[in-house]
Amino acid sequence: MIPPAALAMTAPAPRGAISLHRISRIFAGGIPAVDRINLDINPGEFFTLLGPSGCGKTTLLRMIAGFETPDEGRLLISGREMQDVPPHKRAVNTVFQSYALFPHLNVEQNIGFGLRMQGVKNPERKRRVDTIMELMQISPFAKRGAAQLSGGQRQRVALARALVNEPEVVLLDEPLSALDAKLRNELQIELLRMQKHLGMTFIFVTHDQHEALVMSDRIGVMSKGRIQQVGAVLDVYEKPKNVFVAEFLGLSNILVLTPTGARTAQTPLGELRVDEELNGHKLAMIRPEKIWIYNDTAAPQGRPNTFMGTVHEAIYMGASTQYRIDLGNNQFVSAYDTNNQAAERSWRPGEKVTVELKPENIMLIEP
Amino acid sequence: MIPRSVRFALSGISWPVYVLLYTPLALVAYYSFAPAPNSVGHSLHAYNVLLHDGDVFVALRRSLILAFGSAIVSTALGTLLGYGLCRFRKRNAKGFLAHMPSLIIYTPIIMPSLVFGISELIFFNFVHGATGLLAAGLGTMIIAHITFQVPYVALTVFARLSGLDPYLFEASYDLYANGLKSFFYLVVPVVQPAIIGGFLLGITLSIDDFTISFFTSGPGSVTLPIYIYGAIARKGISPEINALGTLMISTIIVMALAHFFITRQRERADQLAARGNVS
Repeated sequence: MIPPAALAMTAPAPRGAISLHRISRIFAGGIPAVDRINLDINPGEFFTLLGPSGCGKTTLLRMIAGFETPDEGRLLISGREMQDVPPHKRAVNTVFQSYALFPHLNVEQNIGFGLRMQGVKNPERKRRVDTIMELMQISPFAKRGAAQLSGGQRQRVALARALVNEPEVVLLDEPLSALDAKLRNELQIELLRMQKHLGMTFIFVTHDQHEALVMSDRIGVMSKGRIQQVGAVLDVYEKPKNVFVAEFLGLSNILVLTPTGARTAQTPLGELRVDEELNGHKLAMIRPEKIWIYNDTAAPQGRPNTFMGTVHEAIYMGASTQYRIDLGNNQFVSAYDTNNQAAERSWRPGEKVTVELKPENIMLIEP
Repeated sequence: MIPRSVRFALSGISWPVYVLLYTPLALVAYYSFAPAPNSVGHSLHAYNVLLHDGDVFVALRRSLILAFGSAIVSTALGTLLGYGLCRFRKRNAKGFLAHMPSLIIYTPIIMPSLVFGISELIFFNFVHGATGLLAAGLGTMIIAHITFQVPYVALTVFARLSGLDPYLFEASYDLYANGLKSFFYLVVPVVQPAIIGGFLLGITLSIDDFTISFFTSGPGSVTLPIYIYGAIARKGISPEINALGTLMISTIIVMALAHFFITRQRERADQLAARGNVS
């Protein structure tokens, strides 16, 4: 069965595309919450704005919804200029962090609110509400009030209330942050399934890097009102542009470089060889899971970037263990190792090990 | 935990308070059954006189027109005011400016009704003298009553709206409601209990009011409180006045009991509904 929303997606190309040109929003006190952002979001894309609280990601989302007006710059949705378009005239629907379900309406009426405001009359409205409730598996709660729903049910209703309008763009402001871990995982998968099924553009705001990695086609990492890096999930995680992106997306080892050749540099650990040309870069990073650990006796001979050290700390995390390894000179690296062998085979604090930082795993980054 | 002795003492104090509260009411009822002239024993004579007193009914009708007329208008205005105060607050206002709205709302409530009534009188006289409009009468009374009821309605609506998730308003705009639709499809239904409460409060305040009515009424606009005052001033407290008082007390008791039973029934229905949904 193809839902009506999927059929609607066969409309001309730019439907659901978003274009931001030098968008700024400056709050009282002159501090820009959003600072000259350029961003293009493709139709049908699951795009995540990732950043710490106060980085401007929610303000950016609110400008797309129309709740905030940019102080400068242009915003286009589906190729149309949005400067003077109020929120109720934008083909954009929001899933709020607090869900904001109407307390005086039941589930069915909450979901039908947008259609009712657009003047969609009843046989048609009821059909569309029923279809989306079926799809979201909330039909059994149709007559309940918002106060009689669990967190997960509320979340589904809030999503259904947005999707039923078949908007060009769905905006989601940390919609899963109030749920427990198990429910969050379930809903992450369901949200993705709905998005792929309906083909709408989703813009998802979160501060949870794990969630961003799981859900997104592309991620825009934000800090201090600016986009630090935009890219596919893999690129942003594997090839972060700068220290902020590297550290925000997960644990990383940052190395300070003093170049000695085109692809070699002196570091506090010792001589290091990299694959990329240094080109003036002063910093490099390597993810902990990319660091190889060997028993002192089994250390590879004659390979570059191998360093001897002592296990300083071992944090058991179930599937893997996070090691903090002392390389002398007050230098430490963090390394993950999969616990794919019997538990007694993992390293303990005090044990001598050799670590290898393979050149292809070392990424050059900006400050 | 409050010691037993203190609890005992407190409950002891409560009894004289109840006595002081309810004995006067009981006395009014007792005296209303005064014997008819030239006879002995309790009678319904005073009620009979009251029923044939056309002036009382004219005054009562006027009181009701005044109460409902002013409460309807003040409910509409007060709802808008409460909504405006909540929705269009200057978010970053500091100092005096931040307190302006509450000052505007509270001043008429704190103002002694004597001062309020006299200033209304002066104002109406001034306007009448200058333009010939607003001659003292039911019209000026309705205006005065609207004026003092609006803050009460605005406050109840404001309190209800302030307790709501502020994102509800944005959600309604997001779901294609313009300002007007958001007001009628979100705000009005959500604050409906507060609006009804404000309306009933307005009626109560209006029927109860003597001071402001006294100063703003004209020769042809005697309402029930003014009629009672006049009757007492002329011939003291007559059995008819006691009968009238008794009727008013009975009406209020019946209304209070009805309210109690209706809300209890609704609460039970809600509890049942909630229990049914747990499954």
